[in-house]
Amino acid sequence: MAEKPASEYRGSIHQRQKDLMLDWYQRLDHSAETGDPPAVSMMISGNCVELLEGFGAIPLYPEVNALQLAIRHQSLEPILAAEEMGYAGDNCAYVKADIGCMLKGITPTGGRLPKPTLVLCNFVGCNTYVKWFEHVAVYTGAPLNVVDVPFLRSDQPSQADIDYVVRQLKEVVGQMEKLTGRKFDYDRFQQAVAYSSEVEDLWSQIKHLAKNSPSPFDAYFDAITLMGPLYVYRGKREGVEFFRAALNELQQKVRVGEGVYDHERFRVVVEGPPPYPYFRTFRDMFASWNAVAVASTYSTVGGLWEFGFRHDSKTPFESVAMHMLAQNVTNRNYLQRYDQIRRYVQEWKADGLIIHFVKSCRLFSAGQGDMRDYFTKQLGVPTLYIESDLEDPRYFAEAQTKNRIDAFFESLEHSKRTAEHAVRA
Amino acid sequence: MEQFERTFDSLYEGLQDLSFVGVRKWKEQHPGAKSVAFFPVYAPMELVHAAGMLPVLLSGAGDRLDIQHADSRFGSFICSIIKTTMEMAMTGHLEPFDGLLFSSICDSARNLCFVVKRNFPQMYVDFLHLPHSTSESSVDFLTEEYRRIITELERLGGSPIQPATLRQSIALYNIQRRLVRQLYELRAQSPHLLRAWESYVLIRSGNLMPVEEHIDILKQALERIPARPGKKRDAIRVVIEGSFCEQPPLELIRLLENAGCDIVEDDLTIAQRWFTEDVPLTGDPVRALAESYVHRSVYSSVRHDFFKPRWEGLAEKVRNTRAEAVIFLIAKFCEPAYFDFVLFKKKIDELGLPHLLLEFEEKLFTFDRLRTEVETFVESLVFD
Amino acid sequence: MRIAAGVDVGSTQTKAVLVGANGDGIQVLARSLIDTGANVRKAAEKAFDECCQAAVIAQADVGFVVGTGYGRYNISFGHTQMTEISCHARGAHFLCPGTRTVIDMGGQDAKAIAVGPSGEVLDFVMNDKCAAGTGRFLANAAEVMGLGLDDIGPLSLRATRPVKIATVCTVFVESDILSYLSQGKRPEDIMEGVHLAIAKRTMSLARRVNIEPLVTMTGGVARNVGMVRALETVLGQKIIVTPDAQFMGAVGAALFSLEKLGESFESSVWRDHAVSSGD
Repeated sequence: MAEKPASEYRGSIHQRQKDLMLDWYQRLDHSAETGDPPAVSMMISGNCVELLEGFGAIPLYPEVNALQLAIRHQSLEPILAAEEMGYAGDNCAYVKADIGCMLKGITPTGGRLPKPTLVLCNFVGCNTYVKWFEHVAVYTGAPLNVVDVPFLRSDQPSQADIDYVVRQLKEVVGQMEKLTGRKFDYDRFQQAVAYSSEVEDLWSQIKHLAKNSPSPFDAYFDAITLMGPLYVYRGKREGVEFFRAALNELQQKVRVGEGVYDHERFRVVVEGPPPYPYFRTFRDMFASWNAVAVASTYSTVGGLWEFGFRHDSKTPFESVAMHMLAQNVTNRNYLQRYDQIRRYVQEWKADGLIIHFVKSCRLFSAGQGDMRDYFTKQLGVPTLYIESDLEDPRYFAEAQTKNRIDAFFESLEHSKRTAEHAVRA
Repeated sequence: MEQFERTFDSLYEGLQDLSFVGVRKWKEQHPGAKSVAFFPVYAPMELVHAAGMLPVLLSGAGDRLDIQHADSRFGSFICSIIKTTMEMAMTGHLEPFDGLLFSSICDSARNLCFVVKRNFPQMYVDFLHLPHSTSESSVDFLTEEYRRIITELERLGGSPIQPATLRQSIALYNIQRRLVRQLYELRAQSPHLLRAWESYVLIRSGNLMPVEEHIDILKQALERIPARPGKKRDAIRVVIEGSFCEQPPLELIRLLENAGCDIVEDDLTIAQRWFTEDVPLTGDPVRALAESYVHRSVYSSVRHDFFKPRWEGLAEKVRNTRAEAVIFLIAKFCEPAYFDFVLFKKKIDELGLPHLLLEFEEKLFTFDRLRTEVETFVESLVFD
Repeated sequence: MRIAAGVDVGSTQTKAVLVGANGDGIQVLARSLIDTGANVRKAAEKAFDECCQAAVIAQADVGFVVGTGYGRYNISFGHTQMTEISCHARGAHFLCPGTRTVIDMGGQDAKAIAVGPSGEVLDFVMNDKCAAGTGRFLANAAEVMGLGLDDIGPLSLRATRPVKIATVCTVFVESDILSYLSQGKRPEDIMEGVHLAIAKRTMSLARRVNIEPLVTMTGGVARNVGMVRALETVLGQKIIVTPDAQFMGAVGAALFSLEKLGESFESSVWRDHAVSSGD
């Protein structure tokens, strides 16, 4: 079987990412103490962080808090606290972890989190987002604004869809001016949109580097770790610098042929969020087969930049609206996700698809059986279906999961060897 | 009168039918005409009606269909109505329908729309984005969204929808809604004259038949009911909350009543009572429908609130019907209902009212456990 | 003769199989079956020992050992391990040539495997987080009714009006059964209801892969005639069951073991599978 490879990314950008995120948490702590800068709660998918730049406001992302807790193995306590309050076993564990933290005063780094000036729910497909922020508004007493982003129910958003979102965004601006007492700085907003465009271009180039064999990074585990600055620093110069450094580091690896493993054996596409409480364990299960992810759908929750879309500072409001409408995985319809995955499998040359069903998230998971049917029966792509949860540590069966992963790669191994023998013969 | 009494049972039989006999009959009587079905909760039936088509409201397959195929597409932790609807599609039960419309009620249902679309490319399958925004721009948006649906319906083969025709359809559905409201008022006032299961089959049966027929049934019922013999009984006045989409088995509703509850308000048939007043018949009717959705509609767990929180709406329901308790009747795995439960419960606790949380599935064959829970609850209130 | 072994350490039972290969082909030389118990390592050793004794072969003469099952990493004398999915496919292909689908129902999980022409795994699905569709569900139901596991199969064959079981929870089915008993339903009808519920759940799972004939059932539950018939009723097709159904994983492991043993013969194994599997 395979030798024991390093399942750790070898390089400096993960540390840089950690530093940036810690810096963000420190600024949040400062905001909690002084009220400056004003904080705005938002959802990651389809977020309009550029708008906040127009007020010098700092984003607060409950999802990031939730996943940070899970990675540090601290999510169970707040989940249980929320369940004691009345939240159901079947409610999304991200929400429960976040609410539980509010109840118990827990934060991922131990620093304080500010009360938001505005709870801004960018509703992009995920109905749970709306419930979550309604509850956050009740518990914090902060004002709530739900930006209703029409679901992408045809190939492209209609003009009516775009107009609707732009109008609402402008209303958010008006509301923020009242709440912060600050005038909206349109130039800063426009500059933020310009920075976003640069960041997106760099991130897209990074994603495309995984087309190389060997891939210089894992487009699931490493991409998810690198995502944080994509929503916290997207509209800022620091974001541009970070992603430029990341791209340089990865391009260097490609130049010398350095992959994630010494011998890359399998290339896979991964669909679905990771089991954050078992991030390392899960990664090791793939590492033991020298299997690298060359693309993933979850790493596009913060925005889908691989296929050419960029923010446009010439029409900032419209392009922010377009991103919220059409360029994040949650507001795109299920068949568009199939198409996204199909492109990944074909253009990034993957051997198979891993579908990770998570109990908490019906947006991702409801219908994955049909996705599996499409890929195995219609496209003939070897597909593995595994189940756990993204936040709740009680729903991960390690032995069973490993068993399924092993069985899948055993069968892929056999196909590869048969193909190799056929070539030799 | 005897014949009237049999109405409820025969309407219930009609609800059991998965072959959509009424729809097929209607299509035979109107050769070439189309039928469009809606997945819960709210549906702008008037648009379909005005196109000369038959609008139908689906509500899953209850316990009448074994899930043998849909399980492979929708796995665990998904509510039953998603699977029974998919199963109906996969076993040809939805064959009488030319179109299927879904809307933004929850994440699972939204994905269901597109899974159905992929597997049944010959059907017109569409997703209606009903707004969640308190902004006035939502009326403009929904007006355009309704116009989009109208274009699709016309393309599907409906007759072009003229404003006058649409106004007529709206007028008809206004009547239906008014009659449904009257039924609810009657039941809340005199629960001994109209059981909840009876009003349920009366209203729900309208899902599967032309609205004109349903109006006749409702009118007749409203005439006959006050003259029914019925003894008042000592029961607890209860509001049911949480069953807006997947439906509890009828046996469960009867069980609640038999255990000593008078169900004076519920959200079981919320789609048929969506507007609090008539939709205006003046001006642009498409806009009138959109504007009513934003300004003249009831609260629901499937969307964000427009002008006041849902829990205030629940409190109002309790006050208006002088209810003594709330039963949260929630379908297993129903995420919106379970989220709302937390803040609804908080409000009911503030009002000092007792409440009970009951979980159900469409498909239940034994009710012993549920019966025990409800009877215990009622006993705890009666023997205080 | 080249001799190889497969050891399948399951949650409830451990099986060992010895196979031998020479110019005449491959034969199963012996099998053994014991309860796993709490000590997995000892169980594997004991099963292997008993199997060698049954074949009258010294342990040292066994050239290669492949472990499978949940306990596969705890086999002290094993050379390598393969998942039981791969092993069941391989074993079914050997013992029931022409198998294209395997339905495996064990104590704790249920699987469906799409098998290729050489016994390779094309696709698979597993239910391993819930007892419904497994031996555990049946065992619990039998216990509630005061019946032995060997009785419930023949009993259910006598049903005339099977009851409807909606729950998939092994705990809740107990109260359903009690409810039906108090309603005066016959035990055979209740048991058939339970069998049909499991069969439907299993076939529902299985339909996620392409079900193609021949369909072979493996795992301990295959000994239950009532379960086999219920599956055939729901599937609408004949299902093949061999007396060695419980040993399928160990047989497959032993066959893989044989290949590893003759690594230099590998290419002929894969190309000329017809010869090596005795087709």
